[in-house]
Amino acid sequence: MSLRDTPRLETLERWMQAVVMHPAGAAHGVASRPARRLVPAAARELESVVLPSKSLSSIERLGIYAHMYYARLLEILGEEYPTTRQILGDKVFKGACRRFLERNPSKHRTLNRLSERFPDFLSRHLPPGSRRGLAVDVARIERAMEDVFDAPQAEPLTAAGFAAIGADEWHRVRLRVIPALRMFRLRYPVNDYMNAARGAGGPRMPRPRASCAIVYRLGYRVYRRDQTPEQFKLLSALAAGRTLAEAVRSSVSGRGGTAEKLAATLGAWFREWAAAGLFCGIERGGAGRRRR
Amino acid sequence: MHGVCLSVGSTDPVDFEFLDKLRALAKRVKAVWLGDHICWTGVAGLNGHDLYPVPYTEEGLRHMVSRVRIIQDYLERPLVLENPSTYLTFASSSMPEEEFIARLAVEANCALLLDVNNVYVTCRNHDLDPVAYLDAIPYEHVVQVHLAGHTDNGTHCIDTHDGRVIDEVWQLYARVHEKTGGRATLLEWDANVPKFSVLQQEVGKAARFRNGVRISRRVAA
Repeated sequence: MSLRDTPRLETLERWMQAVVMHPAGAAHGVASRPARRLVPAAARELESVVLPSKSLSSIERLGIYAHMYYARLLEILGEEYPTTRQILGDKVFKGACRRFLERNPSKHRTLNRLSERFPDFLSRHLPPGSRRGLAVDVARIERAMEDVFDAPQAEPLTAAGFAAIGADEWHRVRLRVIPALRMFRLRYPVNDYMNAARGAGGPRMPRPRASCAIVYRLGYRVYRRDQTPEQFKLLSALAAGRTLAEAVRSSVSGRGGTAEKLAATLGAWFREWAAAGLFCGIERGGAGRRRR
Repeated sequence: MHGVCLSVGSTDPVDFEFLDKLRALAKRVKAVWLGDHICWTGVAGLNGHDLYPVPYTEEGLRHMVSRVRIIQDYLERPLVLENPSTYLTFASSSMPEEEFIARLAVEANCALLLDVNNVYVTCRNHDLDPVAYLDAIPYEHVVQVHLAGHTDNGTHCIDTHDGRVIDEVWQLYARVHEKTGGRATLLEWDANVPKFSVLQQEVGKAARFRNGVRISRRVAA
């Protein structure tokens, strides 16, 4: 290749990226249309672009980077979705991961955002079968555990903060939930399944049974836990910006029992949420719906 | 602070939004040094999450010098750039890696982080002499030294940070110490991490090398 044909820096970088990110490996990458368009000479004589060493050919040297690209990202997906992998089995899981990476190359500096769309991808691309529903539900929870780990920190509201809310304020008080909280309505008892999956042997496939779960971070630890449907409804209403009075009315109206019993139940829920640090502020505004 | 995603060598536009975050973090943790690698990690909006080599050309050098100056100005502190382990050489390279690094440090007025294991790995992979490489480094720019283990595949070495520093790298480290007169040293062992006592032993070995004492294989084992 003459000096005139020497690729510019930008072209060379784009070419190398096209080669090492090719899903079928470096050799296919060099022969691919995008790579050939960028550096035509490489397809004819690769040594004119990448030098061989004493021990490795030019394509073998490119292959080191190509191998590392997929190996590294597959390893990360395996670490982020251990229970999803267990449900699908290694072969199906790795196949899904490779297809996901081919269609969703990383666009972020942090690897923590690599698989943001993986649960959706699974729901659209896994073959129908008895395991798809559970795998997608579990993947949503495993993804949320990554999300909340990186979510902004907010100082949780203390028990004293809750105690300061007078009964006459309920119609105008709104609670602000922490940024590190995610809420899920699921088709399977995912939390129980994931707890069982941590033991030896692996749990049996559960039957579909609706469940509600939250994932949140307190300090530097990430938690997931089940919520009753009523708890979940109330928490969702609060997260949506309803006042305490509106949220309680919409979630527990029609519930039987005395007012004392209801108050005791609500008290227990709020103590549980306060201990989990799910709220980070109190807004005392007008009765209108908060703009979001 | 030391990172892997600044992508100084990339031909994508400088990401000032990212630099804002980096500057805020550096201020928050009172970072003494802000380091990354002499490489690019992605282009055209994508990220390969790897340290890709730049061609060691005049164009590549001008590009890197210009980027380092912009980033340093924006971050309001000197960058500390590390030599990466590399696994291929571009045919268009017109100067050896060590010359590229030396000129980059001088022309961009940035600091260097000299990874001695990376020098060894790169030289093995490119059939170069690591002593000649080290002799070309402008040591007045070196503020920190890295040590690590690697995987030797026979045909090539991979920088894996998963084992002890090999004897040849210790010898290079002693040479670097003579050249610098003493710089902060970091032992990188972040895969297959051993018991703390093993790490402590390896760190102690670095201290003994800095004090000029050669370690016998029996003691080091």
